Amino acid sequence: MDPLLADTAERIFGDRCDKALLDAAEAGAFPEALWEVFSDAGLHLVGSASSGTHAADLFGLLQVAGRHAVPLPLAETLLANRLLGDAPAGLATIATDGVAPWGRRATSVVHAETGRVVTDFDHVPASNLAGEPRDAITGGAETGTVADIGDLPELLALSRVALMSGALSRVLELAIGYAMERRQFGRPLSKFQVIQHQLAVLAGETAAAQRAADGAIEALGSARFGDQVAAAKSRVGEAAGVAAEIAHQVHGAMGFTHEHTLHHFTRRLWAWRDEHGAESVWQARLGVRIAAGGADAAWEFLTSADR
Amino acid sequence: MFQGLSFDPVRLPDAAEGLREEVRAFVAEHMPPDYLPNSDFNEGHSPEFTRALGQRGWIGMTWPAEYGGGERTFFERYVVTEELLAAGAPVSAHWIADRQSGPLLLRYGTEEQCARYLPGIARGETYFSIGMSEPDTGSDLASVSTRAEAVQGGWLVNGTKVWTTEAHRNHYLVALVRTDPPSDNRHAGLSQLIVDLHGAGVTVRPIRNIAGGEDFNEVVLEDCFVADADIVGTPGNGWEQVTSELSYERSGPERFLSAFRLFVEFVRAAGTDPDPATAALIGRIASHIMTLRKMSMSVAGMLQDGKSPTVEAALVKQLGNDFEKLVPELLRLAPPATAAGTAGSALRRSFEQTLLHAPSFTLRGGTREILRGVVARGLGLR
Repeated sequence: MDPLLADTAERIFGDRCDKALLDAAEAGAFPEALWEVFSDAGLHLVGSASSGTHAADLFGLLQVAGRHAVPLPLAETLLANRLLGDAPAGLATIATDGVAPWGRRATSVVHAETGRVVTDFDHVPASNLAGEPRDAITGGAETGTVADIGDLPELLALSRVALMSGALSRVLELAIGYAMERRQFGRPLSKFQVIQHQLAVLAGETAAAQRAADGAIEALGSARFGDQVAAAKSRVGEAAGVAAEIAHQVHGAMGFTHEHTLHHFTRRLWAWRDEHGAESVWQARLGVRIAAGGADAAWEFLTSADR
Repeated sequence: MFQGLSFDPVRLPDAAEGLREEVRAFVAEHMPPDYLPNSDFNEGHSPEFTRALGQRGWIGMTWPAEYGGGERTFFERYVVTEELLAAGAPVSAHWIADRQSGPLLLRYGTEEQCARYLPGIARGETYFSIGMSEPDTGSDLASVSTRAEAVQGGWLVNGTKVWTTEAHRNHYLVALVRTDPPSDNRHAGLSQLIVDLHGAGVTVRPIRNIAGGEDFNEVVLEDCFVADADIVGTPGNGWEQVTSELSYERSGPERFLSAFRLFVEFVRAAGTDPDPATAALIGRIASHIMTLRKMSMSVAGMLQDGKSPTVEAALVKQLGNDFEKLVPELLRLAPPATAAGTAGSALRRSFEQTLLHAPSFTLRGGTREILRGVVARGLGLR
């Protein structure tokens, strides 16, 4: 990802996505000021052809967003704007099986299965277990159809991979920071070997998730993109469960309170690993392809994916 | 962010990828008849296979030509080693010498030592063992008590090494010994010596493992004379030297491929159109291998750049060993394993072999606990 872009995003999100904003968004208030700054900077067009950036930048931006639990429907908005070519006025989102992130605030929705673009739709508010709006979209006026939705299911799955890899890096930081400052039995938790080992496991899962996510992003446009996304959604989803468990255990009861910020990241990890296909869905997809090729071609299947 | 958590993308160069088909053809031609392929680098001893590999130029691949090496890149070596493991070829005879002892001599040894030992290793004729652990020294390596006393022209060595893989068949042992008595600095006073396993004062006794194998040994050294010419590096520098060996030892594909042949046999038993749960199991294992491979290649890239990625290597080994231990546990209850895994089948034999060796995966080359400690240090926790 373009480092200048990464810095800009890091600064915008870092300055604004504090706990108060995350709590307010969860209560239903769209972060208008954040969206304004974000779109004024042109970041809502990252990954669109007109912006001079690439799809890889879009997913790099989502990794940064995941680190800050950004309460905007960034994955859907960026992918919709990319599909629509020219960003429509207002906020675009994508509905999968009729459910769209922040459908209540969006002005246009692309239906992932058909490519139909609608405005003036109705919605039934709902949310995922992280409190992120996931609204059921009904009706609306069709304003067009995206001719080629292409590999949108893979792109949406990759968006969750990117978000999770970012959130995992934050969860690791939070757990290490807490272990260093919290004292019990006269010393910081971080000095207990049993805690060090748990954090080493968490670091391993985080590093694996980061590499898997980057690997799938690097595969954008390649013939093996689908396989790389399948592997990444599966591996990063597995890491999310392990990491959330360890981070909560290290944080003790403190991390179980709503007052602490940890849950903004762990609940998102639990939600995102299930969105756009849980591990088992992508594992089966990958497994079907390996089995079809036969046992003696399994190794070639694995190595050729990175060629 | 934290030391050791950054794994840069690495795409293997064409020269390396080009070797893949050559290795596959070589394995097809030279695999011993009636041999059950096994991806565990410690299993499968075949001097014939090793010599043929040496003749082909695939041992000591990265070493200088003057010592019989191939002057190839770490990436080319990476492809050859992972292809051999994936095919389940018998590689234990040369594995340690190629991976570890040779690079150690190149880095710390004298020209004379390199000229004396490396060409034989590269030809697939000279085999080395690692002499680190002792009866009272496991993870706490600095506590080794094997002593080397300076005498006229060399050293007189007394002590016992254990878990010495292939010592009964190999030619030399690189022994970590105390050349100075213990002091406040536990890491001082250690040195590495090359011991001739067929020389005077050396007794090798096999130790039977839970799989029934006798691959590792106890090596008793009694007034064993080692000439000055066979000390590796500077006397007293042994600690730095053994720790630098470990980056090579810990990050390679042998740290996550030990159970690979079991996976292959499982895929075979599952057939070309498995049910969704079985397909998911195959996909889950594949997702781990694909990710670990990316990380391991990244470490190969760091080695190629002359870096010493201690923490990254420990991280790959930690993840890889836990994964390869998980494979038999994941597969054993799945329908293909229960249906096709009858006694004597390749699947059943691979399963039993993997399961019985699995305890060693998280012990050899640094225990899981030691590795977590290395990673924790990288995180700034210790």
